[in-house]
Amino acid sequence: MAKEKTYVEDIDRSMYDFRNEEKDEFRIEEGLTPKIILEISKEKNDPEWMRDFRLKSLDIYNKTQFPDWGPSIEGLDMDNIVTYVRPNSKRMAKDWDDVPDEIKDTFERLGIPQAERKSLAGVGAQYDSELVYHNVKDEVAAQGVIYTDIESALRGPYADMIREHFMKLVPPTDHKFAALHGAVWSGGSFVYVPKGVHVDIPLQSYFRLNAKGAGQFEHTLIIVDDDAYLHFIEGCSAPKYNVANLHAGCVELYVGKNSTLRYSTIENWSKNMYNLNTKRARVEEGGKVEWISGSFGSHVSYLYPMSILAGRGARAEFTGVTFAGKGQNLDTGCKMVHSAPDTSSYVSTRSISKDGGISTFRSSVVVNRQAKNSKSSVSCQSLMLDAQSRSDTIPAMDIRTQQADIGHEAKIGRISDDAVFYLMSRGLSEEDARALIVSGFADNVGKELPLEYAVEMNNLIRLEMKGSIG
Amino acid sequence: MGETKNIRLNRLPAITWYWLNMNEASVDADLEGPVQAQAEAPKGVSFREEKADLFPDQPTGAGKAFNKAAEAAADSVQVWTAAEGVKATDPLRLKYQYKDGDKALNLVNIVAEKDSDMTVVMDYSSAPEASGAAAVQTKFSVGENAVLRLVQIVRVGQKFSFINDLGGRTGSHARVEVIHMVLSGDKVYQGYQIDLAGEKSSLKTDIAYQVSGDGHLDMNYFANHTGRKTECEINVNGVLRDKASKILRATIDLKRGAVGAVGNEKEDVLLMDDGVRNQTIPLILCTEEDVVGNHGATIGRLDESLMFYLESRGLNKEEIYEMMAKARIDATLRMIPDEKTKEEINAYLGGGTEDDRD
Repeated sequence: MAKEKTYVEDIDRSMYDFRNEEKDEFRIEEGLTPKIILEISKEKNDPEWMRDFRLKSLDIYNKTQFPDWGPSIEGLDMDNIVTYVRPNSKRMAKDWDDVPDEIKDTFERLGIPQAERKSLAGVGAQYDSELVYHNVKDEVAAQGVIYTDIESALRGPYADMIREHFMKLVPPTDHKFAALHGAVWSGGSFVYVPKGVHVDIPLQSYFRLNAKGAGQFEHTLIIVDDDAYLHFIEGCSAPKYNVANLHAGCVELYVGKNSTLRYSTIENWSKNMYNLNTKRARVEEGGKVEWISGSFGSHVSYLYPMSILAGRGARAEFTGVTFAGKGQNLDTGCKMVHSAPDTSSYVSTRSISKDGGISTFRSSVVVNRQAKNSKSSVSCQSLMLDAQSRSDTIPAMDIRTQQADIGHEAKIGRISDDAVFYLMSRGLSEEDARALIVSGFADNVGKELPLEYAVEMNNLIRLEMKGSIG
Repeated sequence: MGETKNIRLNRLPAITWYWLNMNEASVDADLEGPVQAQAEAPKGVSFREEKADLFPDQPTGAGKAFNKAAEAAADSVQVWTAAEGVKATDPLRLKYQYKDGDKALNLVNIVAEKDSDMTVVMDYSSAPEASGAAAVQTKFSVGENAVLRLVQIVRVGQKFSFINDLGGRTGSHARVEVIHMVLSGDKVYQGYQIDLAGEKSSLKTDIAYQVSGDGHLDMNYFANHTGRKTECEINVNGVLRDKASKILRATIDLKRGAVGAVGNEKEDVLLMDDGVRNQTIPLILCTEEDVVGNHGATIGRLDESLMFYLESRGLNKEEIYEMMAKARIDATLRMIPDEKTKEEINAYLGGGTEDDRD
């Protein structure tokens, strides 16, 4: 007898899917014109060079084609996207009590202040286009660590450092949405970890987009000087609307000699979001960047953190999990560029597709001629939970030196019936057995996250798994 | 074709970032009429010439643009058929020997009817100093329970460019075995699209290449699973020397409905010199739940422990690399189901196989 699918109603995502009434203080008109860009620039009190940079980026945006190699972004009409929304809040607060109640309530429901008290060295909270709260623990600040909003940094003692690094790793010419970011960016964090400083507990920025039909374009710039260590956590969510929202943030990471930067993301945008984010790291001699990435939300994602291994012995690790459910097309992966001798990269990803979701793992490993004795290992595994979904792997390797050791493996398959049967014989329901197997499948990311975040990720997987039993 | 045209070919079924320059190849082609192939046909395999391709809708590895150009340029197709139930004991041997200045295009159709069994060896060569360009497009249909073993060997001169394009379709329980060897040439483009349409049909592909000088090899293999319980296996072994470059696009597409399908691909590339460039893009596309797809690749130097072992046996580094390079080609050469061809290729490569040492 043919096996019948058990249909379970769609689950309640109210933990993330709650909206506040839009009481923004200022909202720019929809669309993209030089007038709008100048208005944003004026609103942000940009220095002159930044205003010019925005206008030049807009020009590049207008001349650049939309990508045709990834998921369709036809549903994204830039003429309908509001690129700047200032929430009804005082400019960035340092005291949690100064944040307006409604916004405070939003972040409290998301567990941000609790996490700050328990396990973080500092927190930044962005609501729509502006950071509404930023704080760093005194003992961390005393080590000389700078963690502030990027606009303040643009006008403060680190202005020259910002100018030297801002969109130098991800130039506006990189792709259309990098150009868009250059034109309309707003909010985001600046972190500087001085030479020799080891920040023992993580910093976190959380991005919440509440405004309907808006875009969020935060810029994160992190500079970890030589012999230092930092773990930075990024979280994001939004309520679901029936119109497209856009996230085109940009993350630039500079990792100094013999330093390590761990960058963890649990991305849980709502399923009307186009997540066209760009992340890139440059790693100097003996340094290491570790990307931990969980992609669960958004309608469409294009997300491929790039690591440029620029110094001898530099290393990069990318550990990722992507879970594409109904109505989602998540195109994720990473790029590794080996440009110096003795560099190494390690990639381990898991993709899960269910309920018509599309998950694509896309990667590139480029080993340039000068990168003698480089090593790279890429492993990607995909799990198909039903025959309505789609899972693709598109890994590219371009090796230009003989003195390299490159390994790659990919696997696509389904949940083993034997494993489900075994767990059910031990008393688990089919639903729980499958959820347990999928949680285990995604454990490569979970075990790299701080406990609280690993629990959140497992909850997300459990949430997504409900309704998928068949 | 009569005039030089720029043709895009070997396009990936799912493209990726343009900056990698891996999505497709482009070639300036000026191909005209066919060369006469030297044929040795076994009993039971018949020949006829047709005005047009028997399988105009069958996609190939080179893709639509090349197909269209080939269709426009060629005025005849050589058709080889193993009739229903025919088990050909000897291979069909087709030799294409190109001369200096050739600009040849041949279209070949192979029909293995129900319950037939045939081996086809297509050997493309030229004088070592000859310059020119040629293309052969082969399309096949393999009927229910039929077996086709297809060996295609490219060994044209270092100034000669070649396009070896293949496409075909399998019936239920059919089996196709493809052996591709690229031993020399200036710019060589090859690949296939094979539609595993019939239930429980299977495809095994063994590819060996050695590219040297400033030669370039551009490959696009596409195993398209649409039938239930279909299987494919793609094994690629290659050696790059001097300033040679190569790209391998290899795709396993496990389409919805291909319940129980299994696809495996594996590539092993030995890089001999520091001026080489290797590009590999192995795709697994999947829209069916009950399938298995695997890919593995190793690219670069020889394993350190293997080097240590062989050096401790008195071999120097260069000897070890040469020995391992030869072993890779020999491993595929040994699979050719035709002793006569094996001997010829062995002589071409200038030595005995390991088996000859017994």
